[in-house]
Amino acid sequence: MIVENTQTQMRKGVLEYCILSIIAKGEIYASDIIAELKKAQLLVVEGTLYPLLTRLKNNGLLSYNWVESTSGPPRKYYVLSDEGKNVLEQLDKTWQELAFAVQTSIGERKVKTER
Amino acid sequence: MNKTIIININGIVFHIEEDAYEILKNYMTDVKRHFMNSADSLEITTDIENRIAEMFNELLAGENKQVIVEQDVNSVIGQMGTVEDFEKSEMDTEPTFSDTYYNSTSSRRLFRDPDDHLLGGVAAGIANYFDVDVVWIRLAFALSFLFAGTGIILYIILWIVIPKAVTRADRMAMKGEKLNLQGFKKNFEEELGGMRNNLSNLHHEARPFVYKARDFTGDFVHHLGTFFNGAAKVLLKLIGIALILTCAGFLVFFTVAFIALLSVGYFGPFHELPYQILRHHHADYIFIAGYIVAVVPLISIMMLVLKSIFNVGSISRSGGTAALIIWLCAVGALVYNTVGIASEFQSHASVVETIALQPTKDNVYYIKLNDLKYFSAEDSVRLNIKNLSPNMKVADDDDNDFQSFSHRNIRLNIETSDSGQPVLIKSSRARGPYYEDAFNNARNIKYIFSQKDTILKFDQRFYGKNDELWHDEEIDLTLKLPKNAKVVIDHDVDRIANFSIHDCNEINKKDYDKVTDATFVMTDNGIQCKVDTLVTDTIIRKHLPVDSSKIK
Repeated sequence: MIVENTQTQMRKGVLEYCILSIIAKGEIYASDIIAELKKAQLLVVEGTLYPLLTRLKNNGLLSYNWVESTSGPPRKYYVLSDEGKNVLEQLDKTWQELAFAVQTSIGERKVKTER
Repeated sequence: MNKTIIININGIVFHIEEDAYEILKNYMTDVKRHFMNSADSLEITTDIENRIAEMFNELLAGENKQVIVEQDVNSVIGQMGTVEDFEKSEMDTEPTFSDTYYNSTSSRRLFRDPDDHLLGGVAAGIANYFDVDVVWIRLAFALSFLFAGTGIILYIILWIVIPKAVTRADRMAMKGEKLNLQGFKKNFEEELGGMRNNLSNLHHEARPFVYKARDFTGDFVHHLGTFFNGAAKVLLKLIGIALILTCAGFLVFFTVAFIALLSVGYFGPFHELPYQILRHHHADYIFIAGYIVAVVPLISIMMLVLKSIFNVGSISRSGGTAALIIWLCAVGALVYNTVGIASEFQSHASVVETIALQPTKDNVYYIKLNDLKYFSAEDSVRLNIKNLSPNMKVADDDDNDFQSFSHRNIRLNIETSDSGQPVLIKSSRARGPYYEDAFNNARNIKYIFSQKDTILKFDQRFYGKNDELWHDEEIDLTLKLPKNAKVVIDHDVDRIANFSIHDCNEINKKDYDKVTDATFVMTDNGIQCKVDTLVTDTIIRKHLPVDSSKIK
């Protein structure tokens, strides 16, 4: 339970950072975000993304445009807002620090890499 | 071949197989429940729905088919992720929130617990709501029963007010379990497991007191439960039974009365007023019509009650119509006869006869009731009065109801004579269909009065012509006596007099039981009680011995 908890906590923090990073590359549709995340092996199911996106949008980090779709209802294409860009910059910085911290902490200890 | 349902996801129409639809519906219900507590639930679920629609479209286009099947739904759900997956990723988002939320009473709902009940499951429901052991609630109720039974009323009110947990969702809400797929699954598995392990046996061990009590009261409680559940039905049946019994009672009463009237009617209660009117007026028709008028509705009510409440017997349309027609005919006959009887009382006539009395020498009058019975010529023949031995008398007395009609009683009024001569004014009144009849009826009233020296004898009642119908006959007697006349009146006269002899004796402080009469004086103001003084005392003493001998 504790392990799971920590894992989720870690993943969660990273997930938001990754989503912001993916969207920062340009206007993108939710399922494409999923595809990217899946490629990065961060997220398994699409359903979890929607609440996150909604929350980020409500926090003013994202905005979206409706785009007509040929294969269904209009799609929401997400873009980073100015504030989102600011946050992302800060997160970049934080991540560098974290990566350094983690790297340093692990140190000489051998960590199995599965990928 | 499978049944297909057409669904609409945010404006896009899909054909979907029934099984697939069930899965999709359950999934969406779960998803909606999952995000229910989120502020953006609508937006999130709409996003998800839209995405599902899109995925369906892609699937249909990709495989070039028309209908979504179970497999498609499963693959979409797999891609979207189950609620369980959502939870895993946000398990710790707001851990305290979700934990406390689901276990706090705020999310619990108050239901009656049908799985753990002695009566209505009220106590168990309350226990679930507050998450305490049901024993304490039951104990509290049991104690409150002792306080003037207030607990019973409270319990019944709660029983009525609190809904019963019927569905699984209700039961879960009652116990504060999560309303999601996992919760359902858990609940369902528990139920299955419980059934396998014979839940009631476990409970027997766990809560012996409760279930001993339950065994003991089992039957009673069961019946009570059925009673309350079907209370309305039972009440209806009770009312039905009461109605039928009432109707049957009336039916028996009317039938007995009817037979009695037809068979012994002429010798029966004809002395009494209502029957006296009916006499000779085709009484049998009236009885038959009245009987039908009373009985047909009674039988109809009984049959209706039997049919509608107990579903016994049947009422044919023609039978009902026939009964209605017969009833209407009977009503018609009854009304016709009633009008006929009423017409007998249309006109009114009165005859006043003044009878001069012999003045007495010493201006003293004794007023007595006639204690002899008078018979009409027919009666005396019928009763063979002539053959009575000469020293036998037929005494009149109230207990003898032979022609002693209360409605033929007279009223006696004593006034002071203007002319100074004793006079009896007999005023007879009667009714009839026309004035002539009324007049004859009034004139035919027989009243027997006699004067023998100082003794005036009055009959208590008048007599009509034998076999004559009652026509509202009345007789008022006004006895006018000279001023200053002494009037000695028997107690018996109280029955017909419009003044009280009893009161006069009270004034004189005489024991009513010991004296047989009272003395009055005629004054300008009418008859007045003579109050005993020394003077009157001597007068009474002077006359009484003589008078009493006369009476005897």
